[in-house]
Amino acid sequence: MRQVKYGLLLYLFLMLPPVIHVSESIMVIHMHMQMPLLVIVGILITPFLKSRFPNFFSTWNKNGIPGMLLFLIIVIYWMIPRTMDEAITVTEIEIFKFISLPFLAGVPLRDSWNKLTKRGKNIILTCLSVIYVIVGGLYVFSPAQLCNNYLVAEQKALGWTSVFTALGIIVFLIQSLFIHEDEFEEADTV
Amino acid sequence: MKKPQKQTIAILIVFLFGFVLFFIGTDGFKAYTAETARLLQLEKERPEFPQVTLEDSKGRNYTFNEFAGKYVMLTFVYTECTDVCPQLEMNLAEVYNQIPKEYIGTDIVFLSISFDPDRDDIEALQKYSHFFNSDEETWRMTRIEDKQELQNLLDAFGVIVIPDNSGGFTHNSAFYLVDPEGKLVEVMDYTKTKEAATKVHTILTGEGEGM
Repeated sequence: MRQVKYGLLLYLFLMLPPVIHVSESIMVIHMHMQMPLLVIVGILITPFLKSRFPNFFSTWNKNGIPGMLLFLIIVIYWMIPRTMDEAITVTEIEIFKFISLPFLAGVPLRDSWNKLTKRGKNIILTCLSVIYVIVGGLYVFSPAQLCNNYLVAEQKALGWTSVFTALGIIVFLIQSLFIHEDEFEEADTV
Repeated sequence: MKKPQKQTIAILIVFLFGFVLFFIGTDGFKAYTAETARLLQLEKERPEFPQVTLEDSKGRNYTFNEFAGKYVMLTFVYTECTDVCPQLEMNLAEVYNQIPKEYIGTDIVFLSISFDPDRDDIEALQKYSHFFNSDEETWRMTRIEDKQELQNLLDAFGVIVIPDNSGGFTHNSAFYLVDPEGKLVEVMDYTKTKEAATKVHTILTGEGEGM
């Protein structure tokens, strides 16, 4: 239950107007800090929700695929240049961001991840890295200003950080082919 | 058998939700950036040119009524801009030259409006006129001194201007065509001068036949 408290604290903190102002004034922080932190809020409060509604998660998201799809849809949605602009200019979209990222991305992510098979996890990670490379490329190579609220230089910076995120995921994927975590866990318990 | 069915339903619901979300979020898969959404919105709304006092490179002051009964092709610039604006103005000059002479001045007027009235005084506007070879009559360089009036206009036409750290501005650029009643009718891609000229020409000849 401690996690719920931390989750809610983080949620409230992110909702403070000055925090919103700072986290949305720089494009990279908006996409690669505020948004992931909102997902983390959802991740932290998942155990609480699961203890309250155990049947909901076990019947509707038994093998984790519906939840994972929902997670991907929400993540891709917030990568569209327009949604980032409108989160700043349209209040309803901003509210949707604060609801969708914790509850429709963070919660299903935590609920689904451990239900996935090793292969399923690899597929998701591959998808994510491909998405990040595409989005990164889009922001780096676009000759036009994609977001009206951000400068082109910031757009390029965001593109590169997305590409690096993809690289990070790819490195993780490759190491997971050679290093088997379960072997270490077994060694620990012995 | 019951449980896997629920899961299939869940997958379908998620897909449906995703479809609706993206459909609404992009105006039916048409607008992926706020800029395209803005253009779609402007073409629907057709906002009116607000009441402002323009000051041109000859030091004349007038409101937008000066151009009543004529189409006005306009752009938003600032003269110290080194990247987009010169390109925008060169392209505007290209459009200007492609419109048959008989329309210029009588049916259509070209207008460049500066959103940096602090630095763009009459002298700067004059320099800018000479630089682009405008005649200061059928293509006028103007500024709006009153900051509130300027902001009203930028808001109405959806122009977003952000100061950058080096004393310049980042701003969205386009050709705006205002009809003889003062309503915005077209927002055109400033990089496609031929297309814009053809469009303006068609509108002008259509108007001529109508009269």
